[in-house]
Amino acid sequence: MTRRTPFTWLAVLLAFGLFAAACNGDDDDTVTGPDAVDDAQPDDPAEGQGDTDIEEVDGDVQRGGTLVVGLEAETTGVRPWEDTCGSPCMNIMVALYDKLFEKEADGDIGPWVAEGIEANDDLTEWTLTLREGVVFHDGTPLTAQNIEAMFELQQTGAAASGVVTATGLEGVRAEDDLTVVYTLSAPNAGFPDALTRPQLGIVFHAEAASGDPDGFNANPIGTGPFSLVSWDRDNEMVLDRNPDYWATDPDGEQLPYLDQLIFRPIPDEGTRLDSLLAGTVNVMQSLRQSTIRDARAAGDQIFLYEHQGSNTGSTIFNTEVPPVDDVRVRRGLALSINQDVLIDILGGAGISERATQYFGPDSPWYSQEAADAWGHNDMDAARASLQEYVDDPERSDGLPVGSPIQVEYQCPPDPSLIAIAQGYQEFYEATGLVEVSLVQFEQAAHIQRVVGDEHMAVCWRLGAEEDPSGWLNTLMGPPETSPQNFTNFFDEDLWALLTEAKETADFEERQRLYSEAMVLINEWVPHTYTGYTATLLASQPNVRGLGQGTWNLPNGEEGIGFPTAEGRYAQVWLAPED
Amino acid sequence: MRPFIINRLLRLFATMLAVSFITFFMVNLLPGDPALSVLPPDSISEENIARVRADLGLDDPLPVRYVNWIGGVVTGDLGRSYRTNEPVMDSIRARIPVTFQLAAFAIVFALMLAIPLGTISAYKQGKRADKMISSTVQVMLSVPVFVAAVFLIYLFAVQLQWLPATGWTRLTNSVPGNLRTVFLPALSLSLVEIAIYTRLVRADMISTLQENFVLSARAKGLTNSFVLFRHALRPSSLSLITVVGLNIGTLLGGTVVVERIFALPGLGGLLIDSIGQRDLLVVQGVVLFIAVVYVVVNTLVDLVYAAVDPRIRVTGKGA
Repeated sequence: MTRRTPFTWLAVLLAFGLFAAACNGDDDDTVTGPDAVDDAQPDDPAEGQGDTDIEEVDGDVQRGGTLVVGLEAETTGVRPWEDTCGSPCMNIMVALYDKLFEKEADGDIGPWVAEGIEANDDLTEWTLTLREGVVFHDGTPLTAQNIEAMFELQQTGAAASGVVTATGLEGVRAEDDLTVVYTLSAPNAGFPDALTRPQLGIVFHAEAASGDPDGFNANPIGTGPFSLVSWDRDNEMVLDRNPDYWATDPDGEQLPYLDQLIFRPIPDEGTRLDSLLAGTVNVMQSLRQSTIRDARAAGDQIFLYEHQGSNTGSTIFNTEVPPVDDVRVRRGLALSINQDVLIDILGGAGISERATQYFGPDSPWYSQEAADAWGHNDMDAARASLQEYVDDPERSDGLPVGSPIQVEYQCPPDPSLIAIAQGYQEFYEATGLVEVSLVQFEQAAHIQRVVGDEHMAVCWRLGAEEDPSGWLNTLMGPPETSPQNFTNFFDEDLWALLTEAKETADFEERQRLYSEAMVLINEWVPHTYTGYTATLLASQPNVRGLGQGTWNLPNGEEGIGFPTAEGRYAQVWLAPED
Repeated sequence: MRPFIINRLLRLFATMLAVSFITFFMVNLLPGDPALSVLPPDSISEENIARVRADLGLDDPLPVRYVNWIGGVVTGDLGRSYRTNEPVMDSIRARIPVTFQLAAFAIVFALMLAIPLGTISAYKQGKRADKMISSTVQVMLSVPVFVAAVFLIYLFAVQLQWLPATGWTRLTNSVPGNLRTVFLPALSLSLVEIAIYTRLVRADMISTLQENFVLSARAKGLTNSFVLFRHALRPSSLSLITVVGLNIGTLLGGTVVVERIFALPGLGGLLIDSIGQRDLLVVQGVVLFIAVVYVVVNTLVDLVYAAVDPRIRVTGKGA
């Protein structure tokens, strides 16, 4: 009898490992077509779409297949009233759930599972009509009573309660099976926008959620195009097609086209892109400019869908703290910076546009007047403004006339943020009138210091995709009643404009008012801007239905697209690969 | 042997208590309020932060919180995540198989390559094969794990498309799928280990090959491979056992980077996310778990050592 040496055993193990690793290695994992017949869930991440029968729906669109989406982070949970939902999470939410309303490409509010909404004369009562025939994943119909019951959770939910307060929502009642009345404490023209957002807009099965709020994460019940099959946290979430979904495409074909949708959190930006290039995922999202740059370099291997968001990097000033309590200092600092250089530091040159306000150029609220009112990199004007303060015997920091202005600039110790803080320091000090000390606090401490008013000048993010009536009024409201006013800036004229805009129904009039408000903000400089946040959805070439104009509302209007890389997958389909 | 084991177990208990104490206080020294990670951005205010802190019991003095926490730990209750409200023990339990399998495969890969390479290198000491192996090992030692990981993804996933770039298939779902997803991360993790083990085996083997019993075996006319792997390898493996034992703990903590790059649902990823989000109970739980595994594995190594070499047992008695 021959005894095997340890080396022999190791060789056997190695051979086994290599053999096992090579198993399926030659499969046509990414090939779609009528010949792909396995109906099972892909058993490993290398297997993307094409594992289910593909059926031609009309001339072009193919039904079936599995789409794997790489997200930048795992979602905390899928309870709309409780879990804070960022961009990765929203990809999941709109697959599992429907919202009451959706936004059209021009920013207007359009119908979704609610067909319409009307306000009373003073905008304090909003009556909504639900679509008939919408059913939850468990087969129960969507009713107004469900919307009323949702409010009980939304009032106290960690995610929704803030929006309930901000919108002034006091009560929700069902008039009949399809009619819901929302009662507000004060006029709010922007209220319908809140019904396009996850906290109040997403429709969930209220009875199931109330019965077991924690368990709802494992068994969420919505009316969305897909329903949850399994969720292996930090690994993958598998969703199956909802066969009873109410929505159809413009040709009347039932959505969704895909049989299965899988979300995988891939936190590392580089390997998420590699995963797309390797075919491990079919679609990926990113909110990083450097990733967009790398994705562009991949050429025609992948399709890119970019968006300039209404969100910008910035420096916010605590206007209660000398010397930045003086507008001459803030204006001088603002005029000293070259935003293009700062954008370049962040790797966004050619990707991110220079910001002049909260609203991006794709936003319906974008104001040309505000853009014109925003000065840029005028060093002479910067010095003049700062010199006026330096020479003022009554200067707010109490230092002697002629003393340099002392600015403490705070930013987290992330490499790119360190670089941007140094960029600001260089521009400020280039005036010859300012001395900057950089301080670093880890992200959580960074936020805490701002919330606790312990800051002077801080790197921050500003803006949002939602209707300004919610967040802008909070951002610029009276500091004593607006905890989100981190600049502590308050101006009566500005507040009057914001209040009027909130109480005005006419969209164009609201645009005008917000434009005036934005001009005022730019004149008072409670903060400065760098560049708009560019976002990206990227896909393999055979993924169709992700581009602008590919998803429409039931009224035939084009949907808003995919701001902040929030993909919609009901209308996505997989073309056979060449 | 029995007093030796009791001695080691007492040390183990004392070490774990110290680890739990240090872990708790270190984690709670981290700047930043966990309440901020619980609150959505549009709800951040001093009032809401105070409310959440009270809900989470963060206002209690640290010693009180430690006693409450360690009391739960003793009964297997590590608390609940501030963010997801999941029991920390459940989160750890779901991730243990990933991290353990990754570490185990990395060690197996390392041993599979390091033992033959180290042995050959020693046998061919000073010759071309030895120089080639030593140079290669030197390169492997100097390549950071994240660089190796990115390179392997580029080669095997992006260019050759043989293996998935990221993701994890659980063993219970598919064995081949699981092996395909573990291969690249384990290989990335094992490269440095291969280099260390190869050097270790080589050094010990060179020394062993000069022993009389090896010369005697050769004189009997036994084949080189028989002499090397049957006679010389075992006495040359004591250092290897020690280092492998120590590295098990290190690898469990060291999978953090690899798990992040390959998007694996292991303990490392859980730890990183929890630190970033100030999910203190999860951080404490994971750190404590890794520390306990490290200490237990090293105690086991001590015991194995004592079993292999009785002289250590005798010395340990008096220790």
